[in-house]
Amino acid sequence: MIEVERLTKRYGSTVAVNDLSFSVAPGTLTGFLGPNGAGKSTTLRAILGLVRPNAGRTAVLGRPYRELDAPLERVGAVLETFDAHPGRSGRNHLRFLAAAARLPASRVDEVLALVELTGAARRRAKGYSLGMRQRLGLAAALLGDPEVLVLDEPANGLDPQGIRWLRDLLRALAREGRTVLISSHVLAEIAQTVDEVVIIHRGRLVRCATMAEVEAMAAGAARVRSPDAERLASLLAEAGLDVRSLGDGTLAVAAGPERVGELAAAHGIVLHELSAERATLEEVFLELTGSEAPA
Amino acid sequence: MTTLVGAEFLKLRTTRGWIGYVLALVVLTGIGTAAQVGSAAEVDLGTPEFQRDLVAGSLASLIAFLVGITSVTVEWRHGTITRTLLVTPRRELHVAAKGIAAFLAGVALAVLAVAVVLAVAIPFIVARDASFVLDSGLGARVGRIVLAAALWGALGAGVGSLLKSQTFALVAGILWILLFEALLTLLLGLVDLDSAADFLPAQALGAFEGSVDDALSPVAGGVVGLAYVVGVSLLGWFRVEHSDVT
Repeated sequence: MIEVERLTKRYGSTVAVNDLSFSVAPGTLTGFLGPNGAGKSTTLRAILGLVRPNAGRTAVLGRPYRELDAPLERVGAVLETFDAHPGRSGRNHLRFLAAAARLPASRVDEVLALVELTGAARRRAKGYSLGMRQRLGLAAALLGDPEVLVLDEPANGLDPQGIRWLRDLLRALAREGRTVLISSHVLAEIAQTVDEVVIIHRGRLVRCATMAEVEAMAAGAARVRSPDAERLASLLAEAGLDVRSLGDGTLAVAAGPERVGELAAAHGIVLHELSAERATLEEVFLELTGSEAPA
Repeated sequence: MTTLVGAEFLKLRTTRGWIGYVLALVVLTGIGTAAQVGSAAEVDLGTPEFQRDLVAGSLASLIAFLVGITSVTVEWRHGTITRTLLVTPRRELHVAAKGIAAFLAGVALAVLAVAVVLAVAIPFIVARDASFVLDSGLGARVGRIVLAAALWGALGAGVGSLLKSQTFALVAGILWILLFEALLTLLLGLVDLDSAADFLPAQALGAFEGSVDDALSPVAGGVVGLAYVVGVSLLGWFRVEHSDVT
């Protein structure tokens, strides 16, 4: 459905995307994750034919975007930069897109209602808030009722209510069998929405995984406190487990509490505390990308 | 292509940028025509030559050129080029649609300018006891003026695609017409290449519409002008084709 094959894009001496390959299966809602500057926007723009790769290829629905017939009816896109003329009303912005794509003018009012922008449709776009601009972008993306959606940080500028609205909209679109690729630099923001994730860092692929796999990475740690913490740490390490001392007789162990408890019992070690630890999705994301957690 | 050109006109109509250009054309043409008629000698007023020159004196070509430049560069300035190229990813079609829309805008602007000239000149000339001659000679001149403005519009769109920066393209375009081409003509004259100056764009299109004396024939001027439009549009397409939209 969406294919990126050995994509490389350089801007001068800066390598924005480096030999990146991944694919998005039909009918899935896939998160495209990476810290700011990871190369997400460049990749999405290459998929949409806006950026010429230095090497590699991209395809949507089996063909390069530039070769698609009626592209608005096949692929809808929202990119980070606002792409409406500030002096043109939101409605007129959509009208010329519909005219250029040979779509019925009635579709303009339908998508305006869908993104809940009807009330502001006749106002000039320069007066739109960030959230309204995102909604206008989504309206433009949905104009051709496309089977594929490529969304670059669509939650930017939306308030919590708007984010919930976006999440519900994306779920509804996915239920209709559409393929959605949605970028974000915050895993938690899209974790409840997507089925799969493609994580990149510094232009390179870090991991393709299902959301269930990422959830599993977050689980499976234990916190244990014992008066004999030093001996317990040695035993856990001998068992091949990753152990970290948190001080005050407390250890963090990369294993479930069942395993730690059984090992302690087998060696007669007294425990004062044993609990399951769960890393946040963000911690998993940061660990995968090797990024620093924000202070 | 008809669909794309229609969408381009919708873009032009749905912002206020075009109003300034139309107002400038109407006001300056009206004032210019009144000044020409008012300052003309009684003996010249009723002559077909004077009246044909009146029609050729409008700013339709210059305004069409600037409208052509603006219609393209405004997309790069405001980032609307992203959405435009998502709808029309084949960039040669985008450049062609811009050129044709600017060509047609040039036709409309020139027709408006001629209408303004006639609306101001006819009552003024009649009031000075002369008659205005609406003959085939005037019709032919108007036809060439309209076509020249259309070519200027398309040339502007090509220049816009080639330069992309709105400020740079507008300033460079105006300076070329008002200053650089005159300077170049002067320099060519100094090295005994006067006839080469006839092939410069403003000279050639001026010869086509009949506003430049001692130049190429109207047909040759039109062919040279068309060659500029095609050449600059191809360069513009090459630039757009190899541009990343970031």
